[in-house]
Amino acid sequence: MWRITLAQVRTHVGRLIASCIAIVIAIGFVVATLVLSETTRVTMLGAVGERYVDVVAVVTSDPIAMGQVSNESGAEPDSGGLADVVDAVRRLEGVAALSAESETFAQVEVPGRAGTQSVSVESVSSASELRWQDLADGRLPNASGEVAASARVGVAVGETLAVTTYDTAGATQGADGEPATLVEEVRVVGVVDLGADPTASVQGRLFATADQVAAWGGGEPFELRVAAEPGADVDALLGSIREAVAAQGFLGTVMSGEQAAENRAADFTRDAAALTTILLIFAGLAVLVAGLVIANTFSVLLAQRTRELALLRCVGASARQVRRGVLAEAAITGFGASLVGVGVGVGLAALTSAAVGGSDSAIPLTGLSVPLSAVWTGLALGTIVTLLAAVFPAVAATRVSPLAALRPTDQAAIRSKPGLLRLALGLMLFLPGLAALVYGVVYGQVLLAVGGGGLSALGTILLLQRVIPPVVALAGRTVAQFGSLPAALAAGNATRNPRRTAATATALLIGVTLTTAMIVGAASTRATAEAALLSNYPTDVIVSSYETELPDSLLGQLQGVDGVATGTGLIGTEVTGPDGQPWAALGVDPVAGLETARSADGGVPQEGEVSIASWLAQVWEVAAGEPVTLTVESRSVSLIVEVNDASESITMPKSDLRQLDPAATNRQIWLRLDDGLGVDASVRAVDEITDVAGQAVSTASVAGIVSLRQALNSILDTMLLVVTALLGVAVVIALIGVGNTLALSVIERRQENGLMRALGLTRGQLRGLLAWEALLIAGVAAVLGVVIGAGYGLAGTAAILGQVGAVVIDIPWMQLLAVIAVATAAGVLASVLPARRAARTSPVAAIAG
Amino acid sequence: MRALGLTKVYGRGETSVTALSGVDVGFARGAFTAIMGPSGSGKSTLMHCLAGLDTPSSGQVWLGETELSALGDGELTRLRRGRIGFVFQAYNLLPVLDARANILLPMQLAGAQPDGDWLDSVISRLGLADRLTHRPHELSGGQQQRVAIARALLPRPDVVFADEPTGNLDSRSGAQVLALLRSSVRETGQTVVMVTHDPIAASYADRVVLLADGAVAGEITAPTANDVIDALRELDHGPDFDIGSAADSSVALRPVEVA
Repeated sequence: MWRITLAQVRTHVGRLIASCIAIVIAIGFVVATLVLSETTRVTMLGAVGERYVDVVAVVTSDPIAMGQVSNESGAEPDSGGLADVVDAVRRLEGVAALSAESETFAQVEVPGRAGTQSVSVESVSSASELRWQDLADGRLPNASGEVAASARVGVAVGETLAVTTYDTAGATQGADGEPATLVEEVRVVGVVDLGADPTASVQGRLFATADQVAAWGGGEPFELRVAAEPGADVDALLGSIREAVAAQGFLGTVMSGEQAAENRAADFTRDAAALTTILLIFAGLAVLVAGLVIANTFSVLLAQRTRELALLRCVGASARQVRRGVLAEAAITGFGASLVGVGVGVGLAALTSAAVGGSDSAIPLTGLSVPLSAVWTGLALGTIVTLLAAVFPAVAATRVSPLAALRPTDQAAIRSKPGLLRLALGLMLFLPGLAALVYGVVYGQVLLAVGGGGLSALGTILLLQRVIPPVVALAGRTVAQFGSLPAALAAGNATRNPRRTAATATALLIGVTLTTAMIVGAASTRATAEAALLSNYPTDVIVSSYETELPDSLLGQLQGVDGVATGTGLIGTEVTGPDGQPWAALGVDPVAGLETARSADGGVPQEGEVSIASWLAQVWEVAAGEPVTLTVESRSVSLIVEVNDASESITMPKSDLRQLDPAATNRQIWLRLDDGLGVDASVRAVDEITDVAGQAVSTASVAGIVSLRQALNSILDTMLLVVTALLGVAVVIALIGVGNTLALSVIERRQENGLMRALGLTRGQLRGLLAWEALLIAGVAAVLGVVIGAGYGLAGTAAILGQVGAVVIDIPWMQLLAVIAVATAAGVLASVLPARRAARTSPVAAIAG
Repeated sequence: MRALGLTKVYGRGETSVTALSGVDVGFARGAFTAIMGPSGSGKSTLMHCLAGLDTPSSGQVWLGETELSALGDGELTRLRRGRIGFVFQAYNLLPVLDARANILLPMQLAGAQPDGDWLDSVISRLGLADRLTHRPHELSGGQQQRVAIARALLPRPDVVFADEPTGNLDSRSGAQVLALLRSSVRETGQTVVMVTHDPIAASYADRVVLLADGAVAGEITAPTANDVIDALRELDHGPDFDIGSAADSSVALRPVEVA
């Protein structure tokens, strides 16, 4: 059987190309994700753990334990710290060098720059084997008065820095008993390159000798790094260090250098792992689609080989041999394609690393780390998916009866006895999948929802294969009512060969469903997120002053600013809450407030209501809908609580506040900018508002919430773009499947078409017939796909954003209609070329096969 | 090889079609038998049942001591590897394999090694020595049939079934194929059962079994083509019917003298 299988693969390579491409793309995606993830991890580890390279042991004190000891004994612990164990460890055999690290903080003035910078100061080891810093220029300090600086500080070698520290050594005291500040000038002797350390750009760092750091208030060392003699037994050394420190009553941990590095990197790699998971979900989707494409392709291919399979059975191939042959073919194809896919994935990762890592981005990617696990995973996944996809077609192939070989002119369709099996399997996949999806959506479990979505999608496709041929026939008959004969013929064809109709429609259905899910999901996500943003940040600009009151004229002035549409003023006072504590409260005119805020849920209280933040509701122990009494001196008012996190602590109607405190003054102004103002125009408006307000009240603060919203919106747009691109990979795979299936099924019908031509159908009529069939099938598949895709898109939005806020359903009808039109046109187009060839073939040649 | 009370009914109730009704027939070992009959006589169905490709509605089929209707699909498959050989009218060969691989196919499926000398003798008798590395689409119709016959003969099966083997061939190639079948019967004692509608092909056989309306209608031993034609005419139209005496037809049909 092997020889036959190999011969089949060799001969039909062209027909298997499409499946191969699908696998290559999907596996490439998976492998690229895994390789990039590993590269990130290694880069991170390298950058963050640089200090632990060549370090055999790291000893860290445990401040919590020490704190417990001091609490119990009532005094600072005089032992159990690192300083005590230094000598004990240094004397151990096998220890080559030891370095106690300490750090402190300082303010530096850099020549040529105004203001001061906050920097951290770290000690530099005196032992050369424990000096981990990479120098961009100069050298590391060897004595007090010298420092090396990280690039972020912005100094060059030879310059002088003025360093201000607190003298915690207590040598001098300031007038109020606080430690005095010391100002010292130090010389910069080197610039340190911190490489890909993610914290490098947050704050500048200085490196100085241990003595210098101590003089600047360094305190106890926080870490002991130990270097071993070359050839020393690492484990034994670790053990003896542990014993030595324990003997000293040390409270802390001793761990190996690698462990310390990994611990440090753990926080950063955790975030990277989350991103990897998301990417892998999309990659998994691409793999699923590739599997579906392959299943479709194989079933079409095998249907064309009915006669050959029957012949094999006639000359003595058992059902098991036939099945094994098909699966072997699938395995060879899958493995070969996976091999290429792994290569593509690694290449893609290398490109990404070179492009992203080189630039100044926040994503740490240096070089390329290809874990062997990624290669194995890619190979195994691709081969297994291809095999699984080929199982159904392989089993169907065994059902070919040997008799089919004896009737060469009879296009024996593979019996649909598996029809019932397919139905059962479809339901078995669909129902649990749907349940998981709904559960995941309702309870915000994204992974469960995704898994449920995938399962139910598989089930849907299986079920639809039974549904599609009758629906196509119905559509054809309906159109035929309008007097179109080709449509009626096409409808007949669809029912005569349900397997082919279903296969063609399925391929298109997958693509359309994915695209629609993408479109609807993106639109609804954007609408939901925007609504959530607006209800959390309903006001465009808030001008407030807590000390001085805002003049009455300010509102009018601000409303005159270019870009401001409307505004309203709020008065404020201090009220006493039900807990007896004083709280700041604001009063707003309900009608004007609603006009200015962009959301009805935006914390604008209506008559008789008071809007408070949820944390305050917890403090006051009240719930929404309950009445609460607020008092100012002897006056009190009872209002119904409305909980809204957009509210700034307490907001009530203006009239009620004035009732409580007739002397309440203007405290805030809410402004609403013109609709449709771009980012730049908004910034200009906010700047002008700041100027006007600052002139009226110097301590006024202006919060340009609109800028925050715009920033969040642009992040959302970027994210949606990325998601769309990732889903696009799966759509491309589906499209390949469509083209392939349509081309194969027209080739399959050479005999049938030749027969029709021989019976009197002209070329034009044949082309018209084939086009009508394609139109009907593609049309039905497109409509079904849009409906199902919309459902999944909304489910996706609900799963991801359901916990954030109420889901806003936004279905872009025009885009969906465009998808239906494009998909139908694509289906017709994809069948046009083979149809022309079919029509041109002479009937006799076609029938002879 | 013999069959007893073979009946095959397709469909149910009112739409049922009886393809075979109570056929009793036997085929001698080492003989060349032809099954003949007009279309719709059930000859193809009979062959399918005899070869174990189709299950009869009732009746039994014996291949030597083995009763076919008692066997499952796996056992029937094994029969087809070594004890039953096939030659069809067309599409005999796997297009992806060359001639040699096609010939060896049933033995490879059985996992058996062919006898080298026997293989060479079959190939040379069928004149295929220079065609072994060609694929089916590079062979003429006659050559393809010869490859099919080689494949059928190689395992030295109990019986070779040939279904209209000359149907697609020109008369010269057809004669060649029939002569090869007959010589394999004469020289190696192979049992061959052939289904045909062609009287000339039938005349190559030792015995012709006539089938009409699903039942055995007669038998001719040591047939000539004329004998067969006469017998067929009787079957179709009853005895003494003379085609040539249809006076008012404008086209006179006359039986053609066959050499």
